[in-house]
Amino acid sequence: MRRLFLIAATALLVASAGCGGSSSSNGVVNVTVWHGYEDIEGKAMTSAAARFNATHPKIHVTVQNYGNADYALQKVLTAIRGGSYPDIAYLYGSWAANIARSPTAVDLTSRIKEPGVNWNDFWPAERQAVQVGGKVIGMPALVDNLALVYNKKLFDQAGIPYPTANWTWDDFRAAAQKLTDTSAKQFGWAYVADGSEDTVWRFDALLWQAGGDILNSDNTKAEFNSPAGVQAATLLQQMATVDHSVYLDNGNGNYANLFNSGKIAMLFTGPWDLSSFPDVDYGVQVLPGLTNHQTISGPDQWVLFNNGSQRTQAAWTFLKWFTSPQQALIWSTQTGDLPIRASETRLPGYQAYVKKYPGVSVFVQNEANALKARPVIANYNEVSQAMGQAIEAVLLGKGQPQQELDQAAQQADQTLATGQ
Amino acid sequence: MISRAARSEHVSGWLFVAPAALLIGIFGILPIGWAALLSFQNNDLLTTPTWVGTQNYHTLVNDPVFRQSVNHTIVYTLLFVPLSVGGSLGLAMLLNARIRFSWFYRTAVFIPVATSTVATGLIFNWLLEPTYGVANYLLGKVHLGPYGFFQNPDQALYSIVAMTVWGWLGFDVIVYLAALQGVPESLVEAARLDGAGRWATFRHVVFPLVSPATLFLIVWSTINALQVFDEIYVTTRGGPLHATTVMVYYLYSQAFEFFHAGYAAAIAEVLFAITLVFSLLQLWLGNRRVHYGS
Amino acid sequence: MRWPLPFSPRHLALMPIAALMLLPLGWMLLTSIQTLPESRHFPPVLIPSGIHWENYPDAWNAAPFGRFFANSMIVTLSAVAGNLVFCSLAGYAFARMRFFGRDVLFVALLATLMVPFQVTMIPTFLIVQKMGLVNSLPALIVPNLVTPFGIFLLRQFFRTLPIELEEAARMDGCSRLGVLVRVVLPLSMPALATLAIVTFLWTWNDFLWPLIVITSTNQTTVQLGLAQFQGAHQTNWTLLMAGNVMALAPMLLVFIIGQRWFVQSLASTGLK
Repeated sequence: MRRLFLIAATALLVASAGCGGSSSSNGVVNVTVWHGYEDIEGKAMTSAAARFNATHPKIHVTVQNYGNADYALQKVLTAIRGGSYPDIAYLYGSWAANIARSPTAVDLTSRIKEPGVNWNDFWPAERQAVQVGGKVIGMPALVDNLALVYNKKLFDQAGIPYPTANWTWDDFRAAAQKLTDTSAKQFGWAYVADGSEDTVWRFDALLWQAGGDILNSDNTKAEFNSPAGVQAATLLQQMATVDHSVYLDNGNGNYANLFNSGKIAMLFTGPWDLSSFPDVDYGVQVLPGLTNHQTISGPDQWVLFNNGSQRTQAAWTFLKWFTSPQQALIWSTQTGDLPIRASETRLPGYQAYVKKYPGVSVFVQNEANALKARPVIANYNEVSQAMGQAIEAVLLGKGQPQQELDQAAQQADQTLATGQ
Repeated sequence: MISRAARSEHVSGWLFVAPAALLIGIFGILPIGWAALLSFQNNDLLTTPTWVGTQNYHTLVNDPVFRQSVNHTIVYTLLFVPLSVGGSLGLAMLLNARIRFSWFYRTAVFIPVATSTVATGLIFNWLLEPTYGVANYLLGKVHLGPYGFFQNPDQALYSIVAMTVWGWLGFDVIVYLAALQGVPESLVEAARLDGAGRWATFRHVVFPLVSPATLFLIVWSTINALQVFDEIYVTTRGGPLHATTVMVYYLYSQAFEFFHAGYAAAIAEVLFAITLVFSLLQLWLGNRRVHYGS
Repeated sequence: MRWPLPFSPRHLALMPIAALMLLPLGWMLLTSIQTLPESRHFPPVLIPSGIHWENYPDAWNAAPFGRFFANSMIVTLSAVAGNLVFCSLAGYAFARMRFFGRDVLFVALLATLMVPFQVTMIPTFLIVQKMGLVNSLPALIVPNLVTPFGIFLLRQFFRTLPIELEEAARMDGCSRLGVLVRVVLPLSMPALATLAIVTFLWTWNDFLWPLIVITSTNQTTVQLGLAQFQGAHQTNWTLLMAGNVMALAPMLLVFIIGQRWFVQSLASTGLK
């Protein structure tokens, strides 16, 4: 009798499997996670899944690297369109607002109120980034921010004191000038000038420090061409076209290797780059500022996809576990990523983490400076492109800040008006 | 009245092409039909699409970046095709000789074609880097430059041309080498004995005999050049300031950065039309000029 | 005045060209024997501290590359075989036979090359999915069994052959298929070798389609496997280049061997 029941139950479970593959076999629910991690982070992901599977016998999590981040969106979109999508996928911040609109994405607004999630323990910028139109569409996966990373030796050689937490834009510009030596092909600063989001988000930090905003509060009009925006763009223009103290990176990551080779003195960059500088004795400081030292945070997220209620529940269980303080700290310690929760800094293992990754504590504290976030709207990428082209033009000396930003604002307004 | 022989020719003709036609029909023509339908929609591939008729095409006509992309695509093609086809014929002639190590030279010429685009992009990013790159270093020794190459809006597209010609030359060379095997040594010698010089022999004997391959390479290179993408993706990403934004790059960014797949499909349809016109023209001219048979 | 050199003057032209063409391979080899910190230099370190061959076994072991190579081989060889057969049949028909709709069909087949893959990949995925082939090797093989490129190439080559040979064979009672197999193909070795090499190249290096259609490690191909070395923020250059060199090896081997067929010894090209 028992066996018959078991067979019938299994048959029922198999029959109710969604079109994304078998959802369970002998009562175990299969959960597929797609991510873009490689190397150390990839291994950390695999071991996290193993740890979870060992303590949760009813669920089996499989992690799958979905390949090069550049092409991953094409793969994810095709999968969604074709109906064979995973249960959880790692999504980059710039995709989230759009993918969240798919009916296959699970709304987590009620789930985050469950006990143990402690939603406000996550950093403010992260929480803002996963909210689209009042809905919570993902769990924070990664948080980082921009800080000033500098080469101590180059500062010593030039006889300049290291950057302080009170540095102003003028201090920064003066130092960059002194640290530039054209005959030795050395630059004081580097800026990614390919017109992409990399170009824009560094500018955003400066814009916010000057008191400006990207868009107005209901995201219908561009505001980055305000005097604050012009002030920020003018700083870039002066440093690039007058002082010639900025190395313009064309988006292929040369700046990291150049910094490591001692050819660039200062960078605005995040914790992910630190392991690329094995040959430099670097220091980390908050960004130079005006009346404040605001920075920008670039959070990515885990999004849940609907493959049936059973798999969704199992996937949520995994996600909740994975983003809990203890597990998140294990992740940070293994990979060097910043803690995604404020409470992690109070856990016993935190000091070991800080010791293992020099400079990381400044980034963690700097997270408190990430007060504003980029608008999470479907056509953000087009707004960003308009801004990126404007900033690139200014850096290359092909346009003046006010005109370029005004033109970009016009394009952005047009995009926002179509409201797609 | 169709003769029996002619009718059986029709049947066997279709039988011969049937497997190819079936496979290409399923995997080539069906998707293209779908893409054509997509061009009449507002579709982000995630939510329910809406039909918008020819709105995408109207928007295209007024889109300055689109017009730029068409311009860049055509300029690129008009440079790439003659350089690669002409250059490869010369190179093939050099390689088609019984000299020592010819197999080594031929393999060397083939290597850029076999190398992944990622590696090629990395090398050229390094070579043409304005401050630290080898190109400006060498040019500086002869008092030229420094040039911005990929970072100068006026030079970027030409730098891409150089990079892609370098990367594809070997491919054309193999086709020409194969074609040159069909040029009988006896004919070449006969021409020489008649007193023809090197250039005249080439012009009146070799070139006509490899003209079928030339037609093939021109049509093929044109189709490929009009769709250039990978090399731009690993270097300039359509920049600086849209200087290397070609049509496929533009449609890629529309579909996978801005989530406007319908608009991207409309761009693809325009590209399709342009390519078809080019190809038909070339095939028609080719049919009159190309010399088949010995 | 005769050029008093002990070797052909062609070498003078070919050597610099070969050097330019060998640049990527040289650079890949150089990076693959460096240490990871060494590779994080710009401009690149040209004289490494030592030769770190361990990058090769490290790359091989970072993922089941044996499996990946096997998968790539199966897919590629199948595609080559398929193309040789189907393109020969179709190419011959277009070259020599007159049938209703021939030219329209030819242009239609060619036209399928004129729409970029970025647009057609999603409907192609949907078709493959309807066939139940997602995440399997046949998904990589079947769409690549025949390409209009190959048909066009062979059509051109077949038309350069003297038709008298084929007519003679037909008068001897040979069927169309017989003429193709016994007369035309043996004379077309250079073209067939070229098609084989090029098909091998494209299928072996294909990345985007396998990325979309394969979702598990067991079916992953070599190029897809190499992508793992490129993360969102970091790329492991030394392992990636070691992997790329290993992936290039079969390609080069095929090419060197294939040279025997597409560059025949000149003595055998007397067609009469």
